[in-house]
Amino acid sequence: MAAAFASTSDAQTSSGTERDNEPRLDVELLKDTARKALIDTLNAVNGAKTLVLDPTLAGPLGLVTEVALLKHHGVDKMFWLEPGPLTSTTTNVVYLCRPLIKYVKIIADQVKAHIRESQKHRYTLFLVPRISTLVSRILEEEGILGDITISSYNLQFIPIADDVISLENDNAFKELWVDGDETVIYNSALALNSLQKVYGRFPRILGKGDYASRLATLLTKSLPEQPSPLSDPSIPSALFDSLIIIDRTIDMITPLLTQLTYEGLIDEFIGLKNSHVELPVSLLAPPAAPNPSNPNATPSGSASVTPLINEKTKMHHLSTATDPLLVELRDLNFSSVGKRLSRVAHRLDEDYKARLQAKTALRLHTGLSEMLSSKTRTELFNKSLEVQQNLLASAIEDMIAHGASMQTIVRLLCLASITSGGIKAKSLDSVKRELLQAYGYNYLPLLLSLAAPLLAILLPNPLPISAAPAVAGNKYPFTTLRKSLRLLIDDNPEALEEVENDISYTYSGYAPISIRLVQCVAQKSGVISNPAEKSKADDGDGKGKGSSTRKLHAHPIVGWKGFEDVLGTIPGKTFDIVQKVPASTDSTASSVASLMRPHEQTTTTAVFFLGGCTYTEIAALRWVSRQNKGRKFLVVTTGIVSGNSLIDSIASTGKNLSVNKDMNT
Amino acid sequence: MDTVQHPSATWEAVSNGIVFYRRQQLYTLPGKLPNIADYLIAGCKNGGPIGMCPIQLSRICRMRGALALMRDTSKLVALGRGGPTFTKSQIQVYSPAGEGLLLFSWDQGRIVRFGWTFDERLVVLNEEGVYRLYDLQGDYQQFSLGNEAAELGIIDARIHENGLVALTGSLTLLEVKDWEGGRPLALANPGISEPPHSWAVIPPDQSISRHVEVLLSVDATILAVDNLESADQRVARGPFLHVSPSPNGKFLALLTFSGLLWVVSSDFQRELVVLDTATVGAEGPVNQVEWCGNDAVLVTWNDLASLILPSRDNLAGETLRYLYFGATFVVTEADGARVIGQDVCDFIQKVPGKFALWYFSQVNFDMLRTVSSVSIFHPGSTSSSAILFAAWESFIQRSPKADENIRSIRSDLAAAVNECIDAAGHEWDPHWQRKLLSAAKFGWGFLDLYNPTDFIAMGQALKVLNAVRFYEIGIPLTYSEYQYVSPAHLINRLTSRNLHLLAIRVSSFLSLKPDVVLKHWASVKIARSKSSAVDGEDDEVCRLIVDKFEQLGGGEVSYADISRRAWEVGRTGLATKLLDHETRASDQVPLLLTMKEDKLALVKAVDSGDTDLVYHVLLHLHKRLPLGSFFKLIEDGGDQLAPASKLLQVYAREQNREMLRDFYYSDDRRVESATLALDEAAQMTDPHAVMTAVNAAEKFFSEDKDRPFEAKMMNESVRLLALQQQYEKDSDGKVKFFGQSVSETIRTCISNSMSKKADRVKSEFKVPDKRFWYLKLHALTAMRDFDALDAFARSRRSPIGYEAFVRHLVEAGHLKQAASYVMRCDGPKRVGLYVLCEDWRSAGRECKERGDKKGME
Repeated sequence: MAAAFASTSDAQTSSGTERDNEPRLDVELLKDTARKALIDTLNAVNGAKTLVLDPTLAGPLGLVTEVALLKHHGVDKMFWLEPGPLTSTTTNVVYLCRPLIKYVKIIADQVKAHIRESQKHRYTLFLVPRISTLVSRILEEEGILGDITISSYNLQFIPIADDVISLENDNAFKELWVDGDETVIYNSALALNSLQKVYGRFPRILGKGDYASRLATLLTKSLPEQPSPLSDPSIPSALFDSLIIIDRTIDMITPLLTQLTYEGLIDEFIGLKNSHVELPVSLLAPPAAPNPSNPNATPSGSASVTPLINEKTKMHHLSTATDPLLVELRDLNFSSVGKRLSRVAHRLDEDYKARLQAKTALRLHTGLSEMLSSKTRTELFNKSLEVQQNLLASAIEDMIAHGASMQTIVRLLCLASITSGGIKAKSLDSVKRELLQAYGYNYLPLLLSLAAPLLAILLPNPLPISAAPAVAGNKYPFTTLRKSLRLLIDDNPEALEEVENDISYTYSGYAPISIRLVQCVAQKSGVISNPAEKSKADDGDGKGKGSSTRKLHAHPIVGWKGFEDVLGTIPGKTFDIVQKVPASTDSTASSVASLMRPHEQTTTTAVFFLGGCTYTEIAALRWVSRQNKGRKFLVVTTGIVSGNSLIDSIASTGKNLSVNKDMNT
Repeated sequence: MDTVQHPSATWEAVSNGIVFYRRQQLYTLPGKLPNIADYLIAGCKNGGPIGMCPIQLSRICRMRGALALMRDTSKLVALGRGGPTFTKSQIQVYSPAGEGLLLFSWDQGRIVRFGWTFDERLVVLNEEGVYRLYDLQGDYQQFSLGNEAAELGIIDARIHENGLVALTGSLTLLEVKDWEGGRPLALANPGISEPPHSWAVIPPDQSISRHVEVLLSVDATILAVDNLESADQRVARGPFLHVSPSPNGKFLALLTFSGLLWVVSSDFQRELVVLDTATVGAEGPVNQVEWCGNDAVLVTWNDLASLILPSRDNLAGETLRYLYFGATFVVTEADGARVIGQDVCDFIQKVPGKFALWYFSQVNFDMLRTVSSVSIFHPGSTSSSAILFAAWESFIQRSPKADENIRSIRSDLAAAVNECIDAAGHEWDPHWQRKLLSAAKFGWGFLDLYNPTDFIAMGQALKVLNAVRFYEIGIPLTYSEYQYVSPAHLINRLTSRNLHLLAIRVSSFLSLKPDVVLKHWASVKIARSKSSAVDGEDDEVCRLIVDKFEQLGGGEVSYADISRRAWEVGRTGLATKLLDHETRASDQVPLLLTMKEDKLALVKAVDSGDTDLVYHVLLHLHKRLPLGSFFKLIEDGGDQLAPASKLLQVYAREQNREMLRDFYYSDDRRVESATLALDEAAQMTDPHAVMTAVNAAEKFFSEDKDRPFEAKMMNESVRLLALQQQYEKDSDGKVKFFGQSVSETIRTCISNSMSKKADRVKSEFKVPDKRFWYLKLHALTAMRDFDALDAFARSRRSPIGYEAFVRHLVEAGHLKQAASYVMRCDGPKRVGLYVLCEDWRSAGRECKERGDKKGME
């Protein structure tokens, strides 16, 4: 087994180095654009200003700029956009927020308070990402439209890793599938269009899901004031080979499962928000010795997601730029992290140069993984994994009794419903009753939202006669997919190393459907059989040859070919649109390029997750990317989600408001 | 020998032959116009040319109480005879070539004045202060100078290209800026007691202050009035019969009642000409005093037009006489003046050319051609351009002189080429234009490097100018004016004459966008097509327009504008059809709203995917429609409008809950109503209000036969809340219960040693044993009340087993207590559990008992 481990890790290292040789999109460009736009926005208001910031924008903005830059451009003081009076010493007051009604009302209250106290200020409201009629209307209703200058700050995709860009909209999923508010789709279309302007057009747009299809229609139909990206000859056209749009609801199973990769687990247990993780100071402070004391020594109650410790914490930016180890660790199944860490420790002993820089990182990750493993050792965690594999309603009821968190229970319930085509009405009612009794009757709207036709992930079986026909016809065909997409791969410790090359490695034996669908387009062989098996056979005689020579070149994008039937069984529209390339020489040029592409060029496949994706899905895509040469993936998403964040966002209807209110009164 | 008349044949020299004036016959119009003498006329001029400020052009002259109006480069308008009180009269518009363009009757009271705007619309102002702007199709916009002006009455007005100044009955002045129907502004009160003898306006563009300036001839002096003050210019020569500012506003031509012509700078500081017009030898009264460009004044009588220009030697100036039959009408242009006689339309102009100082060196008619027009055709000119021209002619005639001539101007050749091109621009006759351009082309063959851009531009411009000067079109635009007003303006003028074919050709020839022409064409098409009495008519027109747009406009023309136009003329059906072709929803939707096509607007907004646009429509409709029909519209939309309905709910949940409640209620959406009630409950703090809200939710659920479970849950919820209130009261408010879940309530009870109450909750809400036991285990462990825990464990056989006790206590760090429960667990598990409790001794003992040797290790 040790040998096997060594060989696979060698393969990884070599693929890791090779990755750097292959050109990939320079997503830093987007960051620069966003930063420059922010500066322009701030400079549009002359003189010193007080900045009032939408708290949900702070994270995204933090990825783009730093406070010093704001100060440099005249920001005197910064406040959160929160209810309550605003004291500003500067004449200029600048609001920066998303166009949400609650924010506008806060602004209106503050401005009106100033008017009553006859304070004179100049107000500017920058809306992200664009101006909204709704906002002007509400300001008009509040009678202060004339006092405020409204403009926009077009913040679109933000790079959160060198192959991941995100709109960092935490509420996208809830807005789409609970509220039915399609604003996210339109904004995504605008943002993707800007992306096309920078990096060239997507020659082909494929995808699955009704909202995904809507997005593709918007993208291919001309959007207002968007000159054709190809009109600018300076744009290189061959960077993208396609855009694959995955609608979150076509695979709800994956986010509901517990993520098992390193970065995914951090998100599950500690929480990664805008790439920042809240960690105890002792882990971060460089001089202190590695902190071996088990942070779990303090009893942490029953819930698995409550903050671990009472120790002082600090936000830490997890980024590969400052953390050399993260690249190696983030996509590993957590069970391999310990081994990898110790190997790194050995390596560091030999290599003094890298040592200093890497040492803090090593300590950080050792500490982090200890925090995680203390979590993974709990009975509840293991039980929930067990339940995830069996998904019996009675077991879930037991877990409620046992005191598992509401999110865990809801995740399990939904999983049970999706995979088995609904839960028996009687036991469903009983679990729901348990749930409401245990966590509060105020979660009834959450249950209703989960069962509503838009989402339909918590349903009785058989469906009541009154159910909407749309729901009835859209049962998720998990059992067939399980075979046709090779979703479940036997999971035992021996097999784990073997499947390390298959994406099911990320979930210790389950291959995320969303990524399988991407493979249907971009790596068809990977769906049908395990690439690891082949390489293992080769290993028999040619061990140590280096995997790069064996790696196949990625096949060109030919649509869903071969998987049309499988896709047909999944609810939601399937589409495959070849974008018109304007006439003239382009057609010949592109055909030449497409001929040359397999041998010469590395192209990028953009995968857009409408409604968010998990860290583990990103990890799985990276695995796919490593298995072939000639194709890189760019993960494009509305935001990073996890099962808990999804459930929380759905449950939050009205909850946040009441929390705020309580704090005020 | 050329059979064509040489350009210089009509030249007349003044200033000792330094300056030439020419009279170019533009059109002959025998019998095309009514008798000029019987009409009041207003002429429309085009842009002021060469580098000076634009000029006020429209002039009116009164003759024998009749009114006629004519437009300079383009048309004449004549009002039928009828004395000063023509309440019903006809206004006619003629092109300069005498073609009738428009005829319409006026029945809006007595006309005070009429004139032309810059974009060729006819302004007609009546004594009540109402004015209309007619385009060349007879469509008009009507505006008013306001109630006050209507009461006072308007007695006179002066109209310039970008506004007008009206003189009210109380002898005050009102100014209108632009032609957007803006509110008139009062100028400073001149304080006069009777109407001025005559008056004039210097438009804002030409005045020094950049504001309109009015000159009133009062008594012997002139009052200059602007919006701030009325200033006496202290002139003693008055009163004046005519006051006429030059096109650039820098000079004034004044004619006294005694016939003295006085030309001064507009600040009255510099006299240029003082001339007794009686000496000119004309008979009868002076008809007009107008400027010919900025250099000369044209005074007209019946049968005679006299051009008077200042002279360095003589204050009386120099005079050129042009004879006409009968009355004439003069329109000032920036670079000349158009004279419209009974049967001819002439253009009198100073021969353009910067090199006007070339002399007759020898009278050699082969060499007779000389600068822009002057230096080339100037008799005996020896300018380099003249020599170039001669060289080219020699070349054509295969004369060796060509080479000689070219050699002689080698150093100036580039300039000579440019001069030839320039001269071509100022030449009216295509024959000479061609010759001059050929000469230029010939010349640049001898140059090493030459940039032909100017040459090409000139060729294009002349082609366009010749086309529009053609008598059927009748726009005698000079090259300078063309450059001043821009090609786009010219195209607008063509389209406003419905000359769409020419306009589209010109615009494509000049590579301009065809949008303007196409849009105008479509508007006219719509206006002319019969209204939708016939069924297929709308389709037909729509198809025609769409075909044309696609074919010529490259699909970039906006249909929204055309559609708006169709809607304005009452063709709603057609408007809708056209709007369907509009791809930009942001253009389409607002118009649909104006057209009250509410549903369609909403559908289009939804289709566009732009949620902001949907909000725009929703908010608009919410304001305009009664709530009931607003809801009905959305509900009837079904799936198609579902996104709009959702957005409305998102909006209303935050901003207008009352409306949302009504919306759900009207649509029988019980579940949503209930959810809304719960949402409100979550935001309330008053227990009573919370319970009322939850009760309401229960009621809504119970009204929906598919929601018995939810109704039951809400019933439980209310009962729980009531119980919690009761418990709080029992504990004198020391323990908080309200709002907790069933499990939390039990936990709180146990933590506060109210185990009876906990049991009651258990039985009342049928809490399963398992959950209850876990709750109690956790609560007691948290309290470290191990005795109670022990008692509880012994109370009956644990439904959750005792392993759970052990594990929970271990997790909580109470190893010792945990170990005490191991004995009650299943035998085989005990070893492992003891190990967990770190109770090695017991673990060892257990192993021994079980004979488990492996475990011992």
